[in-house]
Amino acid sequence: MKYYARRIAFYAVTLWAALTLNFFIPRMMPGDPADILLAKLERVGRDIPPGVEHSIRLLLGSDTGESLWTQYVTYLQRIFSGDLGVSVTQYPVSVSTLISESLPWTIGLVGLATLISFIIGIAGGIWIGWKRGTWLDGVIPASTLLQSVPYFWLALLLVYFFSVQNSWFPRIHAYGLEFTGGPEWSWAFAGSVIYYGFLPALTIVLSSFGGWLLGMRNMMVSTLSDDYVTTAEAKGLKNSRVLLTYAARNAILPSIAGFGISLGFVVAGSIVMEQVFSYPGIGKLLIQAVQNNDYALMQGIFLIITVTVLAANFIMDLVYGFIDPRTRHNG
Amino acid sequence: MLHNKRRFRLMAAAGLASGLALLASGCTPASSGAETEKTLTVFAGAQTPVVANFNPFSPNPLAGTVGLVYQPLFHFNRMSSEDPHPLLGTDYAFSEDGRELTVELRDDVTWSDGEPLTVDDVIFSFTYELSKPQTLTEAVAVDENTVKLVFTDPQFVNVVGLLGTALIYPKHIWEKIEDPTAGTNEDPVGSGPYLVDELSGGAYTFAANEDYWDEDKPALKELRFLAIDGNQAAEDLIAAGEIDYTSIFTPNYQSLVDGGMGYMVLPSDPTVLYTCANADLGCVGPQTDPAVREAIYLAIDRTTITDKAFVGLTTPMSPTLALLGRDDMWIGDGQPHEAPQDPDAAAAGKVLEAAGYTKNGDGIYEKDGKPVELTLNSVDGWTDYNNTGKLIEEQALAAGIKITAGTFSWQEFSDGRQTGQFELILGYMQTTPLADPWKIYNDFLTTDFTGPVGEQLDPSHFNFTRYSNPIVDEAVRAASATDDASVKAAAYDRIQTEIVRDLPYIPVNINAAQTFYNDTDFTGWPTEDDLYAYQQVGSVLDMSYILQNLAPAGK
Repeated sequence: MKYYARRIAFYAVTLWAALTLNFFIPRMMPGDPADILLAKLERVGRDIPPGVEHSIRLLLGSDTGESLWTQYVTYLQRIFSGDLGVSVTQYPVSVSTLISESLPWTIGLVGLATLISFIIGIAGGIWIGWKRGTWLDGVIPASTLLQSVPYFWLALLLVYFFSVQNSWFPRIHAYGLEFTGGPEWSWAFAGSVIYYGFLPALTIVLSSFGGWLLGMRNMMVSTLSDDYVTTAEAKGLKNSRVLLTYAARNAILPSIAGFGISLGFVVAGSIVMEQVFSYPGIGKLLIQAVQNNDYALMQGIFLIITVTVLAANFIMDLVYGFIDPRTRHNG
Repeated sequence: MLHNKRRFRLMAAAGLASGLALLASGCTPASSGAETEKTLTVFAGAQTPVVANFNPFSPNPLAGTVGLVYQPLFHFNRMSSEDPHPLLGTDYAFSEDGRELTVELRDDVTWSDGEPLTVDDVIFSFTYELSKPQTLTEAVAVDENTVKLVFTDPQFVNVVGLLGTALIYPKHIWEKIEDPTAGTNEDPVGSGPYLVDELSGGAYTFAANEDYWDEDKPALKELRFLAIDGNQAAEDLIAAGEIDYTSIFTPNYQSLVDGGMGYMVLPSDPTVLYTCANADLGCVGPQTDPAVREAIYLAIDRTTITDKAFVGLTTPMSPTLALLGRDDMWIGDGQPHEAPQDPDAAAAGKVLEAAGYTKNGDGIYEKDGKPVELTLNSVDGWTDYNNTGKLIEEQALAAGIKITAGTFSWQEFSDGRQTGQFELILGYMQTTPLADPWKIYNDFLTTDFTGPVGEQLDPSHFNFTRYSNPIVDEAVRAASATDDASVKAAAYDRIQTEIVRDLPYIPVNINAAQTFYNDTDFTGWPTEDDLYAYQQVGSVLDMSYILQNLAPAGK
């Protein structure tokens, strides 16, 4: 129990530190968001109706005259009541609305794709490790090649062949335009989401499973040469039992730890994919926020990213402690 | 141990199943809703995720809010000098001194919630805190369908702002709303041809307003606005026939035109070099000398810039800053029309030598030991501008002027031109919404619209060059106070003499806006012969006016 209490305390302190950094960093950036917004509107040729300019200044006035400490306290209070402020880019839409509109898509697609990629990589790695020295070893360089191709290029290639040259898959969006009112609970909608998500998911899987495959295969190879595996084989155990419960269970530990970290980056790590496929996720919100000095939106997204990374690590800590009892006792 | 094994199998099975599900669904064709009439799909720059915001008082409402839902009194056609098309107003007249504007209103208009649109709504819209013109002193009803607006100054030159862009809002809705800028107004009550229908993360739709005052319009039952990130996706979708109306920049327009899209290139914003021109207000650098500005003006090879940086799409610009073609009648006799398209390094050198400059050992002109060395920046990522900067660097060097072209962020661009802390910036101006260059002369050149270097300009003030010239100030005032074309032309002639000589903005060329439209399934688009509105989707009021005039082909 002490192990878990210590972990929880550690994560609480980390969260506080992250929240504090999140407060100070945007305030150190140069520029006045109101000016940028007005200049942007002017650039796209919008006629700014009289009065709107005044209201923007009032609402976004960066200098509120409050002390930094007061702002900090208000900030913490607002965060814990779930109020993340109002976006400048999409004024007057609230940041929580924007994030809640886009977060499910990112988690659903990128999360699932990461999971699939992990499963393929691990299962493949176990198999290739077991069959080491055969032609199967050739799969490893092929898969790492896929991983080394720049992600956006792979995405554009797939788009070119599968949705521009042959319109097998949709080019943009997360679901069909026939659902004009947005998401709904129906099989047709679920089918549409899977159909629209296939190509983006494929690019993520293709470009990431190589790493899992390589890591798992190498761990398998070194585990298989350990004494206890030899003992198990000498005892005459079935191959499948030696493979799964003796070798794979121990070889998978580093990959599980790595998986925890990669889960944390699901929220942030999809920026390019979302841009290429116009997928309504959170990575693109982040780009928009950074480009427009949209502090409230940036803070909101950083907060979500921080919390998910911490949460993923926390869960992985718990899982790890469960599958590898040693971590609970030493340290 | 046993239970561990089972878990492993379960995991594998789950992975396999989800993979299969993805594959299987990939093979089924997307179900397409049976449509009797093709829905016109517009891409007007929306990005995913689309979030409802139809609040006309917010800075960035979704495209269509202005124009399709809320309408102004008239539609002004910036492509010609014809009379405005009546919308909610039917006729208007200025008093002799231009301080009173009387507008006749249409008498059969209802709001989309069934309430009649009356003169009270118009008075409300012109006196409401968020939409009141600054110079308005009062708005009164003359009779049931006539409103009189009274101003402190003559308003002849402001007619587009008052009648063409000021929107009319329903009084009975907005007078009850306490904080009008804070809401997203998801179910707007308007008077325009379309009503907000539905919204999803990737698109939103408008349905025809059955009670629109013009019974024949709109002919299209439904409009869809797509959200797309990035031009490449938009281009692919145009090629696939999934976008019917959009304005994007693409060098590959020919393949889209060959694919059957209607295509139109119209002049948009002028590209100019902002020069911090006025040493009296604190500008520093060689460009404060008009001779240097003129030498750069002469040294630029505009033909090469058009071909290499703008894929041949720009049109020549006039140093008088009037839009060539449309505003020709406002260019004074003897004033230059086009800026020279080919460079003349010898002439540039002569100008500098006459002003006392001599070439130094490096082949660069200098005066009092100071060489003519300047930095020219453009916003990083605006590739056409970045390339233009590099070309100007080479071209100026050929004329003995050392320009170093660089790039900077949007933020630095914005700060630089606002505070005047720059030597040269590759920037842009806005085309005036009417066949009259007054707004450019007023907003970009008068003393009232500038300030000392180091001080932020008001965001609606565009005189970034700090240019200040009493003759220009006086002539701009004179032009604003008259409705007499000959008096106005004389005033413009005085302005042009000054700015052609002083060149605070060095003209480069006029950018082109490319518009693609589907003229196979839809008719009623503006054409070269009947350019009844400016066709770019970014110009929301023009876009809305065009959309209400479209009809399905074959009807």
